[in-house]
Amino acid sequence: MELNNIKPFCASVIDVLPQLGFETIVQEDFIKKSQNIIASGVVLTLGIVGDKKGNVVYTIDEEGAKKIASIMMMGMPVDSLDDMAKSALSELSNMLTANASINFSKESIMVDISPPTMLFGNDIELCMTQDIVTSVTFDIDGIKLAINIALE
Amino acid sequence: MKKINVMIVDDSTFSIAVIKKTLEKIGLNVIATALTMKDAIPLAKEKKPDLITMDMTLSDGNGIDCSKEILSQSATIKIIAISSMMDEEIMSAAKEAGIKGYLQKPIDEDALKSLIEQLFIGEALYKSLQENYEEAFKEAIYSFFKRSIDGDILISKMPLISTTKKSLGISVVVGIIGRHNGRLLIDMSEKTALNLVKKILQDDSQFIDDTIPFLNELANIIGGNACSLLNGLNRAFGLRVSPPTTFHGKDLIISVGNRITQSLLVQTDLGDIEINIGFEKGEI
Repeated sequence: MELNNIKPFCASVIDVLPQLGFETIVQEDFIKKSQNIIASGVVLTLGIVGDKKGNVVYTIDEEGAKKIASIMMMGMPVDSLDDMAKSALSELSNMLTANASINFSKESIMVDISPPTMLFGNDIELCMTQDIVTSVTFDIDGIKLAINIALE
Repeated sequence: MKKINVMIVDDSTFSIAVIKKTLEKIGLNVIATALTMKDAIPLAKEKKPDLITMDMTLSDGNGIDCSKEILSQSATIKIIAISSMMDEEIMSAAKEAGIKGYLQKPIDEDALKSLIEQLFIGEALYKSLQENYEEAFKEAIYSFFKRSIDGDILISKMPLISTTKKSLGISVVVGIIGRHNGRLLIDMSEKTALNLVKKILQDDSQFIDDTIPFLNELANIIGGNACSLLNGLNRAFGLRVSPPTTFHGKDLIISVGNRITQSLLVQTDLGDIEINIGFEKGEI
């Protein structure tokens, strides 16, 4: 069940990131986590409603977030997470989730997504409403991107 | 509302007649018709229709190129495709060219009507949402706090947040999804959260972890009630809320992006709460 919820997101990462200029994308093992997740760096959350309801939360450490923003902005150096970099990261989360929603629709599961909300800080404890949050981590050119999914 | 002026581009006189009849039946004004791309481009420039229905196959070109050409002259004209061909490839090419909707022949009157409503009433709908959401949220916030904690509840508008704000301690985010998507963010200190949960449960032995389910429910109720009020005002908003996610941490910074948002300060006897709400215009 949880696996079915996470697959469209994995497919989305593998499909979307190369288009943005990333080269090696390696999916690490599935990890099932409890309700609470601790993250440091950048956290992006989007709501999902429709045939399935819940949230997806993307977490990236700050250095990784800067690298991602830089690659998305055609290699422009990103020293700090300024407005442009934040906008690039928001857009990435939007693209990944929108693409995952298209992948869901191929299985006749129709979902709509909300705009992303971005937070940053250290040791952010996040609590998603569902009991089981499934997390998967990708290694993208050395950057760790974790996707936490709570859908029912 | 002023009558919508339409131009029909189609390589078949029969199709033009059918489309014209259907458009007129639903109250639109057909001001021009063209059979070819060569005729359509100058005619669009001259007649300045509000809407163009575009066939995808024309004798001297295709509807995609024709639309691009027309939109390069006047970006405000709304073009919808009406064609017998409909597959993913052509639909995505149409979307890329700036075509706002796609209908397959033979056209279904209801589908055409709802597409046109979406295109032309969209602006008015977004405006109405912008004008009403603050009041709806205020009402939902007030009634929640009045019912659950009583005492004085003062809600005031806060200055517009440009891009980021420091969290007071605990933030709850609820996504809002509908005709226009948005987000509700409720932010308060740990102390306020604890005070509220102690008061509502009438139990002083509450810890910070106990506040999470309360905050989730608070966001759910305020978001749900406000969206119901707005949907009651106009069903076309079709707003639904996603489950809340709670963030908790030291030095937490929230980026509200460049979305136009409204911030409210809720002052209660148990502490202050900051609430930020915003909707995106999205595609109309």
